[in-house]
Amino acid sequence: MAESAVRMTGVVKRFPGVVANDGVNFEVMKGEVHALLGENGAGKSTLSNILTGLYRPDEGTIELDGSTVSFGSPRSALDAGIGMVHQHFRLVEPFTVAENVILGNPETPFVIDTGSTVERVAELAKRYDMAVDPNAKIWQLSVGEQQRVEILKVLYRGARVLILDEPTAVLTPIEAEALFKTLRAMTAEGRTVIFISHKLDEVMSVSDRITVLRSGRTVGTVATKDTSTRELAGMMVGRSVEFSRAVRRNPGVSSDVVLSLTDVNCNDDRGRQALHGVNVTVGRGEIVGVAGVAGNGQRELAEVIAGMRSSTGGRIAIEDKPVLNGRARAAIAGGVAHVPEDRLHTGLAAGHSVEDNMALKNYRTPLLSRFGLLKRNIITTQADDLVMKYDVKTPDTGTPVRLLSGGNVQKVLLAREFSTNPKVLVAASPTRGLDVGAIETVRERLVEAADNGVGILLISEDLEEIMSLADRIVVMYEGRLVADMPATGATREQLGLLMGGATLEASR
Amino acid sequence: MKSPVRLERRLEQPRWLNWAIPVISLLGALVVGAVVLLATGKNPLDVYWRILDRGFLSQRAITGTLRTATPLAFTGMCAAAAFRLGVINIGGEGQLYVGAVGAALVGLWIGGSAPVGITIIVMVLAGMLFGAMYASIVGILRSQFNTNEIITSLMMNYIAGIILNYLIFNSRSYWRDPRSIGFPSGKPLEKRTHWPTYEIFGTSVSFGFLLAVAAAIVLWVIYKRSRLGFEIGIIADSPRAARYVGIRTKWTIVAVTAMSGALAGIGGASQVGDFAHYLDAKGLQLNNFGYTGIVVAALARLNPLGAIVVAVLLGGLTNAGYSLQGPDFPSGLVGTLQGLILFTAVAGEILTKYRLRSNRNTAKAVAA
Amino acid sequence: MNSNLFIVIAASAIFYGTPLFFAALGGVFTERSGVLNLGVEGMMLIGGVTAAWSSLHVGGSAWFTVLVALCVAMLAGSILASLHAFLCVTLKANQTVAGLSITIFAGAVGLSSYFANIWKVAEDPVTRQVRKLDVLGLADTPILGPLFFNHTILTYLSWAMCAVASWYLFRTKIGLQLRAVGESPQTADAMGINVVKYRYIHTMLGGALAGLGGAFYSLAIVPTWVDGMTKGAGWIAIALVIFGFWRPGLTLLGAYLFGALQSLGTVLKSRSFDIPGDVLDALPFVMTIVVLVLVSTRFAHKRIGAPAALGVPYEREER
Repeated sequence: MAESAVRMTGVVKRFPGVVANDGVNFEVMKGEVHALLGENGAGKSTLSNILTGLYRPDEGTIELDGSTVSFGSPRSALDAGIGMVHQHFRLVEPFTVAENVILGNPETPFVIDTGSTVERVAELAKRYDMAVDPNAKIWQLSVGEQQRVEILKVLYRGARVLILDEPTAVLTPIEAEALFKTLRAMTAEGRTVIFISHKLDEVMSVSDRITVLRSGRTVGTVATKDTSTRELAGMMVGRSVEFSRAVRRNPGVSSDVVLSLTDVNCNDDRGRQALHGVNVTVGRGEIVGVAGVAGNGQRELAEVIAGMRSSTGGRIAIEDKPVLNGRARAAIAGGVAHVPEDRLHTGLAAGHSVEDNMALKNYRTPLLSRFGLLKRNIITTQADDLVMKYDVKTPDTGTPVRLLSGGNVQKVLLAREFSTNPKVLVAASPTRGLDVGAIETVRERLVEAADNGVGILLISEDLEEIMSLADRIVVMYEGRLVADMPATGATREQLGLLMGGATLEASR
Repeated sequence: MKSPVRLERRLEQPRWLNWAIPVISLLGALVVGAVVLLATGKNPLDVYWRILDRGFLSQRAITGTLRTATPLAFTGMCAAAAFRLGVINIGGEGQLYVGAVGAALVGLWIGGSAPVGITIIVMVLAGMLFGAMYASIVGILRSQFNTNEIITSLMMNYIAGIILNYLIFNSRSYWRDPRSIGFPSGKPLEKRTHWPTYEIFGTSVSFGFLLAVAAAIVLWVIYKRSRLGFEIGIIADSPRAARYVGIRTKWTIVAVTAMSGALAGIGGASQVGDFAHYLDAKGLQLNNFGYTGIVVAALARLNPLGAIVVAVLLGGLTNAGYSLQGPDFPSGLVGTLQGLILFTAVAGEILTKYRLRSNRNTAKAVAA
Repeated sequence: MNSNLFIVIAASAIFYGTPLFFAALGGVFTERSGVLNLGVEGMMLIGGVTAAWSSLHVGGSAWFTVLVALCVAMLAGSILASLHAFLCVTLKANQTVAGLSITIFAGAVGLSSYFANIWKVAEDPVTRQVRKLDVLGLADTPILGPLFFNHTILTYLSWAMCAVASWYLFRTKIGLQLRAVGESPQTADAMGINVVKYRYIHTMLGGALAGLGGAFYSLAIVPTWVDGMTKGAGWIAIALVIFGFWRPGLTLLGAYLFGALQSLGTVLKSRSFDIPGDVLDALPFVMTIVVLVLVSTRFAHKRIGAPAALGVPYEREER
């Protein structure tokens, strides 16, 4: 029997308004890859933040190699050999790889010897088969390379227990495979890996054992070889789940084009070209899925259609009428609805009330304002109607949206966007971070809208979502559309290769 | 190892905080001020009593207090208007000077001929226009080049002071009284350009103060009911959301900064029309109305109606400072107290984000 | 231009630029830790008044008195800065308004003036000053003398500090960690660096240097106490930090540029050039705006690397 590496017993952590961990029990053995599975909000991140000393538990004990420990800070956890690779990287962008790796290490000499540091970092990277240049600045690296730097950081500090929080969310399938290999190389050396995820497939393929969390409690721990995705899904959600496809009543019918982009170019916030001659059309009632790894121009694509960003070339047209370049108001008036990736701070004004947010797109219309003054009572009635129609759970329409749950935030946003009777909807990762119930609702709403004739451009990193909803799939890679195909013929493997930069021919 | 209390994030901001924070801040400032006074060998109770007496209680004290409160109300609203948008315009000082220059120009120019009512209105408008234009330089630089408005607006204060000195002391300008040779001063305005004063319950209330109250009500309506106010709120809450719905953020920044400058400009016009009746280069620079306006805005929590109330409070403090100034009431004391008030108001804002919670019930579990 | 005039201006640029550099270098340290300090003007004035008082009242040899005065000024500046750090780091207050509150509290009509009044500092000229030295007897050497061998001890100190600060920021472990705290406190915290400690220490260091800069006014430039004698130098110093791209060397150059602008009026007037004094007085302020516009365009901003977390309070348990 293997020895216990980490044992957490009865861990409770409360935040104002929520109990994030409610008596969690969790044990990890030496030399295993142990997956921590749960929906968003199940308490996985809180638990790992407690284990790495970022949060203090309100109750409960932590044992490391059999002896009780209490971490006052991330430093004490690191010193004890627990290192974390965060989902949002903790890297200093203007620093080099080597500088990031030695940061905070007590063994670094007072005067930094750059040469020997670079050497040692290169050596370590080679040992675990990770390709990364120690002298490169972080901002020059791809997301996959940045993740390797994160792993190097904790290894350099001599971590025996590594926690990875949703590590594949930002990786191409190929990069993910490379990561899994690295993880196995580490467990082979006797290190322990805690792998946090909500993706059933990858948990099944990478882990030795799995602990499932739900609503801040431990549901149970199972050996991977004795379980199935179906059983895990049931444990995660608390009821048996049917992976239902939202059903289209009249799939991909019309040949009328509602949105067309012709040779569209634009720049990102740093002034580098983000879109290179993008051509895409969306028909009436059609759902076009845009697949791709995050950061390949998807955000710029959505923003340029929504008028939030100026294109530097090409033509964007709604029902063949060109839209004013870079004018969000013109795009809105032209019938473009937009569910942005960052719902709470772009799609909504988080500190404002539900009713203000419901009025965000039409407060300038004669319905809601006259002579520059707002008709507050109509704003309230409008919000009351939408809250009812879209079943938004909120104490009242005066509540700030930042206090609503993720699912209800998305409902507010969808309610408002659909209330403008759009012709086109650009939806960026519309279900990311939502729980299973809310995901279903959002998908149903999207399908319903398509059935009613709205052309939808669905941008998502979630291949399952794209494959189950889209009529047609395009793939983005480095600001270009590298493929355009009917959804019925596409396979996961093929899309995965295209997302990693393979050509259409090579992917076949 | 742990402190007995900890800060816990507030989810909602109860309404009572709107008045509780300023009150707590004021009391806090008085306590810290008492420590400073004690440390420097003064009796704080005695000092505070004299401030209260000279600022608010004694005969005609309120008249003087309202006189000081008038410019403070305008500079306070000036700072608050810009701060609401996240534009830290601390140029109220300079915008006030420039507004005074504009009003004095108009008063000298048409004061002898135009009807009284028209003259006064045009003086107010000139103050607004000059203040707005001077401030819009800051707004344009911020919106077009993303230039740090804090430093530019502050530099503009020094430049405005130099302009005043030039107009009165170092040139033979239109504003300077040609008869003043030895000690240069501003050319006096015609008597008929003087703004009216109203006696209300034995207290003189200047036309400027009533203008301030009117401006506060207009601003309140803008913030609560207008599209512009709605857009200002969205920009301040989330610039990205503003971009998402197509609000013209850059235009709004320039417009609001100009509006902010216009408010300070009226304050300057009122100095000419209500009180000095000439361009008083020295007097304007003596009082730091613009900087005190920042204190007013912070303590009023950026609420225009609150700015009027706070301006009267701080006006009383300042007014008492003038009349008490002497060996046992040194200059600098009032400024120190005002700084402390701002200091505690800033610290007091923490109450909107956090509340204090006892750590006792959770300490045991952690120790285990 | 007359080369002699050029030397005079350059020499006095160094003289007038020295306090600007001290205050700006303090700003570099503070801002590198992610704290914006708009209280520099107030800290300089408090440094100035406490230095003037010490110079008038501390006995012993002249050197000793001046040394004590400088230390007192630095101490006073750092105490004020610790208040700022308390507001910004511990209470996580709005750093802009917090800094303003320090300047209003301690500034020209605040505590510095109050102290000057109750201690009667302004009544006597400061006799124990920071004086220009004749280094190695080379002060009278043509050209090189006024440029290099005829400065106050503080100017030589500032040159040494410029070098040490560059080394500290870019070559040492503490400097690396300091920059990490200013760029990404989340990262620094996760790597076990004490963000709060770094921010407090460097804010206080910044305050000490601002105090030293203020002392230069009351002990060398004027040299006596006048209310509000720094006349906006603290604000120019804040602009200089941006102008110097948060690097000590460039900040030193910027300080001398503004020192030249400040001295221009005095120098040109003494040589009866016919330029209105007000224009010259306004020059540093106008130039500050021009320089800020130039460096704050979006293009420049990305390259020069302002600390990414500048002005943002760090909260760990953010959800």
